[in-house]
Amino acid sequence: MTVAPRPFSTLAATLSRLLGPRKVLSSLSERLNYRYDAIAFGETPICVVLPESTADVVTAVKAARAAGVPIVGRGAASGLSGGAAPTEPGLVISFTRMTRLSIDPVRRDAVAQAGVITLAVTEAAKPFGLIYPPDPASFRTSTIGGNLAENAGGPLCFKYGVTGDYVQGLEFVDAEGEVHHLTRDAYDLAGLLIGSEGTLGLITEATLRLTSPPKFTRTLMAHFAEVGQCAEAVSAAIAAGAVPSKLEFMDRACTNAIEDYLHLGLPREAEAVLLVDTDGDDVETVEEERALVEAACRNAGGTVSRAETDAEAAQLWQARRSVSPALGRIRPQRMNEDIVVPRSVLPEVVREIRALGDASGLHLVQFGHIGDGNLHPNILFDPRTESLEAVHELAHEVARVAIRHGGVLSGEHGIGSMKLAFMREAVDAGTLAALWRVKHALDPHGALNPGKVLPTEVLPTELA
Amino acid sequence: MNNEIRSHHPDGQGELMAHAVDACVHCGFCLPACPTYALLGDEMDSPRGRIVLMKEVLEGALPLVEAAPYLDRCLGCVGCVTACPSGVPYGELITSFRGWSEPQRRRPLLQKVTRAAVLTMLPRPGLFRAGASVGRFAKPLAPLLPEALRAPLDLLPRTLEPAQPLPALTPAEGVRRGQVALLSGCAQQVLTPNFNAATVRVLSHNGIEVVVPPTQGCCGAAAMHTGARPLALQQARRNLNAFEETQVDAIVSNAAGCGAGLKEYPMLLAGEGEPDERRARELAAKVQDISEYLGKLLERGELEPFLPTSRPLKVAYHDACHLAHAQGVRAAPRALLRAIPGVTVLEVPQGDLCCGSAGTYNLEQPDLAGQLGDLKARNVMATGAEYVVSGNVGCHTQLQSHLTRLGSKVRVLHTVELLDMAYRGEL
Repeated sequence: MTVAPRPFSTLAATLSRLLGPRKVLSSLSERLNYRYDAIAFGETPICVVLPESTADVVTAVKAARAAGVPIVGRGAASGLSGGAAPTEPGLVISFTRMTRLSIDPVRRDAVAQAGVITLAVTEAAKPFGLIYPPDPASFRTSTIGGNLAENAGGPLCFKYGVTGDYVQGLEFVDAEGEVHHLTRDAYDLAGLLIGSEGTLGLITEATLRLTSPPKFTRTLMAHFAEVGQCAEAVSAAIAAGAVPSKLEFMDRACTNAIEDYLHLGLPREAEAVLLVDTDGDDVETVEEERALVEAACRNAGGTVSRAETDAEAAQLWQARRSVSPALGRIRPQRMNEDIVVPRSVLPEVVREIRALGDASGLHLVQFGHIGDGNLHPNILFDPRTESLEAVHELAHEVARVAIRHGGVLSGEHGIGSMKLAFMREAVDAGTLAALWRVKHALDPHGALNPGKVLPTEVLPTELA
Repeated sequence: MNNEIRSHHPDGQGELMAHAVDACVHCGFCLPACPTYALLGDEMDSPRGRIVLMKEVLEGALPLVEAAPYLDRCLGCVGCVTACPSGVPYGELITSFRGWSEPQRRRPLLQKVTRAAVLTMLPRPGLFRAGASVGRFAKPLAPLLPEALRAPLDLLPRTLEPAQPLPALTPAEGVRRGQVALLSGCAQQVLTPNFNAATVRVLSHNGIEVVVPPTQGCCGAAAMHTGARPLALQQARRNLNAFEETQVDAIVSNAAGCGAGLKEYPMLLAGEGEPDERRARELAAKVQDISEYLGKLLERGELEPFLPTSRPLKVAYHDACHLAHAQGVRAAPRALLRAIPGVTVLEVPQGDLCCGSAGTYNLEQPDLAGQLGDLKARNVMATGAEYVVSGNVGCHTQLQSHLTRLGSKVRVLHTVELLDMAYRGEL
């Protein structure tokens, strides 16, 4: 069902004529720069379009279809699953110039084009006393379109939900170049597009729900001599009824990589660090909730400290956001995972993963949104000196731990190309076949971001 | 980032570049920190994009001429280094790359002449003064000239301050508590002679003896950052000799770009062998920005107290990129300003973004430099401050030029000038 590459030297010329040369990139330098995201390098595209309106996207999609080349949407390429890295040479549509944003304080929503930077939504909403909660670590870089394509999460998602929970409406361009406007009524087609990684359509604009920020926020840090203790504290705190707004953990290697970058005085010797925010409009409840978490941490053997000022809290959260890229200090490459497991089994899961890492001889680190049970075990390696096979094997072992404990493979990063190999183990054949039929219904020629999300090995015979 | 740079470039500079590319995890955290990405919004004009381009060129997969326009647009402000969690030494990468690639560049004649002229005149205050004097009279002709000549003229002041000779030794007032050597700088001796005069007064007032080694020359930063590596090496060796003769506690610079340049000597001399590599490390370890040096006195409670201002004074502090991003000096200048009773220090919105001066950038990329200068001036004006201070002559000239153009009354000073005025009771 993939599109066979054809001679396409004319595609750039056609697009330049239709859109004007300013919106079309076709030199080698330009094309080489639109072939990667934050985890993978893909095929160099034939041509790149930087649309400035939905009409430009329509033109680009129709031209690419006429030329018979695949189409890959791209935001800021800060994704971690290879979602924006093309698997075949084709057209990349980069949304970074579609940045129109308007806030309606009465309806309490934002209308954002796909290229709007995530953080810009909250910054524009703040003067009206509103915020947009989803806060992926890359929110200074990432775009709303990319967040929607991957259904991005972030620390605040434990209490406030992921990107998709804030979508009231979507505008998208389908595989034929037609524009559609979706709400969440009737068939929730918007819900289907969210997290579909550009394989079902290209989201061009979203109407996003805004909320009032909590009046009070309290931040604490706890550290532990063993990763399992940290997970026990989390399970206990939640079981006791605490609903912190953020519950994040990082292990010793992560803490040290961050310290090398920011020099904040984090406990380098601890095996696990937990960062927690409690928030709400009633200061007593917020502080009670913090006390509940503190008690759970101490009972599990942790040492607790509080952030005394907003600046201190901001530094701790900057530290947390920097974990993933800071790991580049340890090894130049990594295999990252995005598993979600039931909270009740967190202690076993982090301990089993730690043990797998220790036994492997490779650098395996863990961090993540532990309150959600969403963990990011990362295998850090140097492809020049370490076996890629061993890395893949360990990654598979880690994925199996999640599946064995009733978990899933992707909490927030998406499947992309990086986790494609695990899909057959995580999703049963009948369900995969159904997903393929959905894909086929919306993209019958397989033009949209081929080679992502669904493994071709399980393509139902009638679609082959 | 995977790369094969070492096998193509098995030398000291190749190792530096490969090491930098290794460290990049292409996360994109640098994108919002990059001034050209902010203005142009495409990947080629971002640090991540440029790292990929340099890698491809070094590996022979992309012709240099194709990548050059994007690499030339990099200001070298290293704002991306501050934003980079994985620790990519981007400044070392772009500087080494420019040194490696410059001999292969084929530039238009006029560009070649201007570059050569700038690199010849900048390090020679006498020549620069002569050139600047002539240039002033050519200012009215600017609209008729090609862009390469128009940009430098736009930046020249209408009048030049008289030269202020620097004594080879200025004794400490009162008990001598230390001795430093001053890097006297090049163009700033002509454009802003009071920077050095104020520096010497403030140090001396604090019991610090100041020597100005007579054989010192240009730090070499301009040559280094524009790819003129042989000239930069020659200038660095001259300074290694000049400063080694002085047995001082510290080498003090009051120009962020020059101080950063001296601190980059170990990178510049990497691969040149011993004893140069060791000498470069020893010199770099002694270099301190004037605000860094005074900040330490303040921290130890050894700084002479300032006289209070005559009325409440709002001062905006502008982070020079080569001070904040390249040297990591942010807290000290702010602390010093706050130590003046009556001064409120204001932050400039989008303060991490370069003002567009960036060494010779406003000569080579006048359009982008102008946009950034305009943005910076407007952000400074938005603070409502009476003064804006910074620690770099390039920023100073750029701020002055754009604030004047916008009809602003904000006064532009070097940090140490304001401290000097506070000691003299002139605020």
